[in-house]
Amino acid sequence: MFKKSKFWAILSVVLVASMLLAACATPAPTAAPQPQPQPAPSDISCEGVTAGDQISMLYQWSGQEEERLNAILKPFVDACGVAIVPEASRDQALLDTKVQAGTPPDVVFWGSTQLKQYAEKLVAMDALGVDAANYADYWKAMGTIDGKLLGLPVKADIKSIVWYSPKAFTEAGYTVPTTWEELDALVEKMVADGKVPWSMGMESGDATGWTGTDFIEDIILVKQGPEYVDAVIAGTTPYNDPGVQEAYEIYGKWAKDEKYTIGGAAGTVSTNFNDAINKVFSTPPEAMMVKQSGFAAGQITTTYPTLVYGEDFDFFQVPGVKGLQGGADWGMAFSDKPAVKALFAYLASNKGGEEWAKVGFDLTPNKAGTTTYEDASLAKKAEMLAATTGFVADIGDAIPGFGVTEFRGVTDWVNGGDLAQILSTIAAAQAEGTK
Amino acid sequence: MAASFLIFKGGKMASPRVATVMKQGKWTPWFYVLPALIIMTVFIVYPMINTVGLSFLNKDSSASAATTCVEGEACWGALENYRYALTNEINTSTPLTAWNTFWTSSYGNTIKWMVFMVAGTVIIGLVFAVLADKVKYEPLAKSIIFMPMAISFVGAGVIWKFMYNYGTSQVQIGVINAVITALGGKAIPFLSQPILNTFMLIIVGVWMWTGFCMTILSSAIKSIPEEVIEASRIDGATEWQVFMQIMVPIIAPTIVVVITTMVINTLKLFDIVYVMTGGNFGTDVIATRMYREMYSSYNTGRGTAIAVILIILIIPFIYMNIKRFIQQEAIR
Repeated sequence: MFKKSKFWAILSVVLVASMLLAACATPAPTAAPQPQPQPAPSDISCEGVTAGDQISMLYQWSGQEEERLNAILKPFVDACGVAIVPEASRDQALLDTKVQAGTPPDVVFWGSTQLKQYAEKLVAMDALGVDAANYADYWKAMGTIDGKLLGLPVKADIKSIVWYSPKAFTEAGYTVPTTWEELDALVEKMVADGKVPWSMGMESGDATGWTGTDFIEDIILVKQGPEYVDAVIAGTTPYNDPGVQEAYEIYGKWAKDEKYTIGGAAGTVSTNFNDAINKVFSTPPEAMMVKQSGFAAGQITTTYPTLVYGEDFDFFQVPGVKGLQGGADWGMAFSDKPAVKALFAYLASNKGGEEWAKVGFDLTPNKAGTTTYEDASLAKKAEMLAATTGFVADIGDAIPGFGVTEFRGVTDWVNGGDLAQILSTIAAAQAEGTK
Repeated sequence: MAASFLIFKGGKMASPRVATVMKQGKWTPWFYVLPALIIMTVFIVYPMINTVGLSFLNKDSSASAATTCVEGEACWGALENYRYALTNEINTSTPLTAWNTFWTSSYGNTIKWMVFMVAGTVIIGLVFAVLADKVKYEPLAKSIIFMPMAISFVGAGVIWKFMYNYGTSQVQIGVINAVITALGGKAIPFLSQPILNTFMLIIVGVWMWTGFCMTILSSAIKSIPEEVIEASRIDGATEWQVFMQIMVPIIAPTIVVVITTMVINTLKLFDIVYVMTGGNFGTDVIATRMYREMYSSYNTGRGTAIAVILIILIIPFIYMNIKRFIQQEAIR
C-alpha cells in the first residue's frame, strides 16, 4: 500500500499548494495605512472612521479608467486615512460568486441590473445615512427597489447624441437641426445634394446590432417619450407594439438604403461601429453624421489626432428627444461599516460631485458637478444631462439577457428579414425577461 | 471508460501459470487507473451529470424548467429547455418556411459544416498526400499545407475576416473584394449574405484542417507495402486503378478515423463562427448558440440543454473512434 500513501501525500501537497496560491491571490492594499489621520477638511466627513480602515472594492474599470477613479477618491482617502483594496474585473461571474459565497466586497461599482439582482443583500442608502439631494428624481426612481434607494449612480454617459463636422456643415450651408422634422428635412436635403447623410455601421462581433437598437430607442424617445420606453422595459408595453414598429421602419428606411447610409444594408451590417465613426471625419468624409454615444470623441481623436473639438467635430442632441437615453454605473454597498458610510457620504457630497467632474470620468449624475467640468465636450453633455427631464436606460441592458435577442433582431431587419416576425421574436424574449 | 473496460478484458486472458509475485489481484488494475478515474470523475463525469441536471431547470437553476412554459403555447414540462433548443429556431408555419429556416438554423449549419468541411479536408488532404508522395520536394509541399494548423482558430478567423472584408468606400481593404472590384465587379458582402456566408466560413475551416488530414493519410500511404503497389502495376493497373483499388482500401481504416475525428471537430466548432460573424446572418452553429444562451442571455437551462444535445450528437462518433482504436490495438 506504499503507492496509496504516496498518492495521498502527493494529493495533500497539491491541495496545500493550491490553497497557498489562492491565498496569495488576495490583492494588497493600494494605499498603505497611515499612522495618524490628518485633520479632515471641513467638507469631507470621516465620522467614526479609524485610520487604516480598509474598504474592499470591485469594479469594471482598469487602466486609465481606474486611474481616474483613484484621482476622484484621493481627497477622501487622504482625509480619512482609509485604505482601498480594489479588484478590477469585467467578469460578472466573479461578483456573483463572491456574493453567493457570502464574501461580497464592501463596495461594488456595477450596472443598474445588479440593484435588482441583489436587492435583498445591499445596504440601502438611508441606512448609510446618505443625503441624495444632489441627484435628480429620475435617478432616485431608477435606483429605488421596493421603496429603498439601493445605490448611487456615479458615472453616466448619454447616448442620444449625433456627431458631425461643423466645418463640413458650414461648407455645405447646413444648420444643426433642433426638431425631428428639421432633421428629416436636413437628411433629405443632403440626399438631394448628393451627399450621404448617415454612417450607420453596426458590426460588433457577437453584439452586432447594438448601435441600431440605440438609434431605434432614440427614435422611440422622439416619437413616444420616456414613459413609453420605461413601459417597454417593465414589459407592460410589448416590443411588437406599433410605436416600436414605427421606429424600426424609420430606422430601416435609412439603414437599408445606400442613398441614406454608407453602403446600404450590406454596409450597415458589415461596417464596424468604430469605422462608422471614422467615416464621418475622413477626408473627404463618406457621410455627414453618425449617431453614437459619448465615447465617439475618444475614437475620433485617436484616429485623427489633429482634429479639434468644436471645429472639426462636435455633437448635437438627437433633435426632438423627450428625455435622454444613457447608462450609468452604480455604487452599491454590501457593508455598513463607518468607512463605507464615509465613502458614500463623500460621493454624494458637493465635493465628491465636483471632483468627479473635474477629473472628467464621463459624467457625474451628482448635480454639484454640473459646472466644474474641465473638458469642453463633457461640459456640453453635462448641460444636456442637467436640462433633461427624463432619462431612460438602454432597453437591451435593462432587461436581463434580452439585449442579445434585440441586437440580432435589428441586424436581421436591416439584412432583409420580415419585421413582424422579428418583433414578435424580440417580444417573446422581452416577456421572458420581464416575467 | 469503455476503452479501459475492454482493455482489462484483454488483460485477464494472461496465462494462468505465472509466479505468485507476478499475479495480480482482481482489484489491482483498478489502483493503476485510480488517479485517472478520480481526475475523470472530477473534471468530466461530475460536470456532465451536473450539466444534464441543470438542463431540466430554469435560467438561474432555481426551479424546474416546467415553470418557464408560456400559457397557450407548446410545453414539454421539465423538458421545456429541450423544446426550446430543438424547435425555437424553426418557423413551422408552413413546410416551406420550416425547410428554409432549418437550413439557416444552428442544426442546419452544423450539418453543412459536417458534410462540406469533412469532405473538403479529407478529399483535398488525400489528394495532396498522394501527389506529394511522388515528388522530390515533398517535405516542403507538406509543410506549406500543414502550416495553417499552427495558427490558432481565432487568429485564422481574424485573418480571413480581413480577407473577406466588405468595404463601403472606393477602397476595399479586403483582398478578395479588392480583386473583384479591380476586375470591374461589384463587391460582395461575403459574411453577411445568408447561405453564402456559411460556405465562406467553411472554406476557412478547410484551409486550417486539410494539413492535419494530409499528414495522417500520408503516413498511412507510406506504410502501404511497396510490393503490393508494384505487383498491381506489373499486372497492368493504371495509376487511377492503383489509387482507387489498392491504396484506398488499404488505408480505409485510417480514412475512417480521420473522418470521425473531423466530424467531432466540426460538431464542436465554435471559434471561426464566433470570431468572424458572431453567429449573425444565419451562420450560427450549435456551439455558438450554446455560448450565446449561456453567457449572453444568462440562461443556464437552455445553454446546458443545447450542450446535452451536442454531447448526444457527438457520442456515436466518439464510440466509433474508440472502437477503431481498440481494433487497431488488438492487431498490434
